[in-house]
Amino acid sequence: MNKIVILTPLIILLVICIFSLTYLLSGKDPNKPPSALLNKDVPIFESSSLYNSKEIIRTIDIKNKKTLINFFASWCSPCKIEHPLFFEISEKYPELYLLGFNHKDPTSQAKKYLEDDGNPYDFVGVDADGLIALEFGVFGLPETYLINENGKIVFKFMGPITTDVLKNEIEPLL
Amino acid sequence: MSSLFGFLSLIFATGINFYLFFSRYILRFQSQRFNFFIRLSSLLTLLSFFSLMYAYIISDFSNYNVFQNSHSNKPLIYKISGTWGNHEGSMLLWLSTLSIFSFFFSFTKNIEDDFKKLTLIIQSFLHILFSLFIIFTSNPFLVNSILVNEGLGLNPILQDPGLAVHPPVLYAGYIGYSIVFSIAIAGLFQNKDDEWLYVAKKWSLISWTFLTGGIALGSYWAYYELGWGGWWFWDPVENISLMPWIAGLALVHSLMMVRGEQAIKKWIVFLSILCFSLSVFGTFLVRSGILTSVHSFAADASRGIFILLIFFIVTGFGFLVFLLKEPKKSNSLNLLFINKVSALVINNILMIIATLTILLGTIYPIIIEVLYNKRISVGGPYFNSTVIPIMIPGFLLMSIAPILSWQTNKIINSKKYALGFIILSILVLIQSFFLEFNTWGLVGLLLGFWIILASIIAICSSYKVKFTIKFFQIINPHIAHIGVGIAIIGITCSSIFQTELDFNLNEGDKFNVNGKMVLFEEIATTNQINFQSLRGKFLFDIEKDESRKIEAGKNYYPVSKMITSEAGILHQWNKDIYFILGDQKNNEWFVKVLINPFVSFIWLGVIIMMYSGLIAVTRR
Repeated sequence: MNKIVILTPLIILLVICIFSLTYLLSGKDPNKPPSALLNKDVPIFESSSLYNSKEIIRTIDIKNKKTLINFFASWCSPCKIEHPLFFEISEKYPELYLLGFNHKDPTSQAKKYLEDDGNPYDFVGVDADGLIALEFGVFGLPETYLINENGKIVFKFMGPITTDVLKNEIEPLL
Repeated sequence: MSSLFGFLSLIFATGINFYLFFSRYILRFQSQRFNFFIRLSSLLTLLSFFSLMYAYIISDFSNYNVFQNSHSNKPLIYKISGTWGNHEGSMLLWLSTLSIFSFFFSFTKNIEDDFKKLTLIIQSFLHILFSLFIIFTSNPFLVNSILVNEGLGLNPILQDPGLAVHPPVLYAGYIGYSIVFSIAIAGLFQNKDDEWLYVAKKWSLISWTFLTGGIALGSYWAYYELGWGGWWFWDPVENISLMPWIAGLALVHSLMMVRGEQAIKKWIVFLSILCFSLSVFGTFLVRSGILTSVHSFAADASRGIFILLIFFIVTGFGFLVFLLKEPKKSNSLNLLFINKVSALVINNILMIIATLTILLGTIYPIIIEVLYNKRISVGGPYFNSTVIPIMIPGFLLMSIAPILSWQTNKIINSKKYALGFIILSILVLIQSFFLEFNTWGLVGLLLGFWIILASIIAICSSYKVKFTIKFFQIINPHIAHIGVGIAIIGITCSSIFQTELDFNLNEGDKFNVNGKMVLFEEIATTNQINFQSLRGKFLFDIEKDESRKIEAGKNYYPVSKMITSEAGILHQWNKDIYFILGDQKNNEWFVKVLINPFVSFIWLGVIIMMYSGLIAVTRR
């Protein structure tokens, strides 16, 4: 038989192994699909402030500045865990714009949550019906996005961010 | 204590295998002594497995694995099956199955000692690879560092009798191919003549039969437990088991047909390596958690890499030996337009194409995600539109293959077959016009009935019907094919002619299912030992005196905070009526009823195929 034919299984084996190895080494988790939005423009949004419904924030307002967007709610207990970290971030990176979106929460409870635990955000937008979260492709709370100066999403994290995530994944991008 | 004992046995077993592996070059054993050590290592491995099982039975939560995956108020059977209901235990079961196969192979009589030794040394090599994997990345005997009185519980979806036996049977299928693999490699090294083919045939039949049973059990479990109304979902894990099954089918057929042709022998060696490689590949895909499916366990990259390495070594080694030591000298095949050899070749090609098609669909998401960082999923539409059309010509050929001649193009009794086929086509066509017409349905039914009919014609016209064991051995290939035909009818009917009815009901409502009145009696909740159950109770066919009770609902498992759905199935010989209880909304319960015609034919067909597999083992 032709040697090439007998070599085929070995070649297929090599291809499969290379792809599988790359997949494993890239630390991908099959339960966490990659975001379709990564390296894309920020979705267009418009939201009013939690404290003053006349104060509006739009996509244009975060142009030309690095922005960290965090989706949270008073009813989300993992959000409480990551909450103190945002104070650390805002202290360490005063030029970073911290935008919080309050997701499907009664205004009074959201206000009480930020009163009790403190408000690290530069702006708290209301996302009462969850439409903004839908635009961002939010899977579950909390979720955090980093937007660069050009308005591109450069980082996304599902679940509460930790000091490790902050140090290894967010800070290099700041 | 039992954990320590188990771990030590595992270490000793591994040590013995190292010793045996190097014995080929350093110490030359008498074959009796060699066999003794193989058996000793097998027993030690089993001992290690049973110590783990013991830890599960007595709920020894000082073992970290037991703590993670068991709970003291679980029924005994699920404590036992919990042993392999997790990654670590499952890998130990893998290794134990490998040992059992080596153990039984060491008793094989009709092959040369040297050949047997070499085969067992390759088995030892496999044993070493997998036990190192267990010891370094998936040790089930780790000590729990905290003192606890209660465990975290077994995934409720696994608390099911079908799932308790599914993994061991499936593993017996997968790992049985290790023997075939080792035999083939040993055959290449020693350049032996045909005697190893007979031994390989027996083992490949055993593996294939187990694999068939394992797949069917899993499929049946999915049918009644997942509550989706289907029995095959082209889930990656299902595909993984289907690949070695099809390749194994090709292997079994080639082994039956081989009459000393070098080309076919070469092909057999190739298939033997392929079958086991696909089994190990399947283990890799499932255990690394690289694909999402109902079988996903916690992913751990280091385990994934280790087992990928094993896959690479085993497969690479196999095919490399095949490349370097390929059997020399080809005498040409006796290929005619239509004789046994050409039918075999065509069927083998089709099966390999089908296997590759499934392989491509299964690993495609990985390739795409690596290249484009996009998540795609390849599912039913791809597989249905590629694999099924590839298989159809094979099925057609299969109906007549057993009666083809070796030397000539002639088909014995060809007129009878032609007549049978024409009458059958007309009948099926008429039937499909009276019921609902569907091209795939027509093709499937025609194929299924044709395979059965052709096999019956072949049995009746070629052999004298006698009820002796010998007769059943001779007609065995036809029986196997009848099983396939029955399964095809079941598959076609249940997937194409399935009907779905949706209802919103209050307790006490009556509704019509397929012309029969059904009463929705009540919703009942009860507390069981390890779960709370919610059941909708239905009374089927209330106008008759002997109305049948059906219960469909959900179970809530408080320990793991999970809900499983429990379909209520009324089995009749020609259809299953499948009740699914949905959610409550505005005081009404959503109830879905599926009518799956002829599902039981699938299981019947599978049982016939397995029976045939066993009969074939007994025949030399």
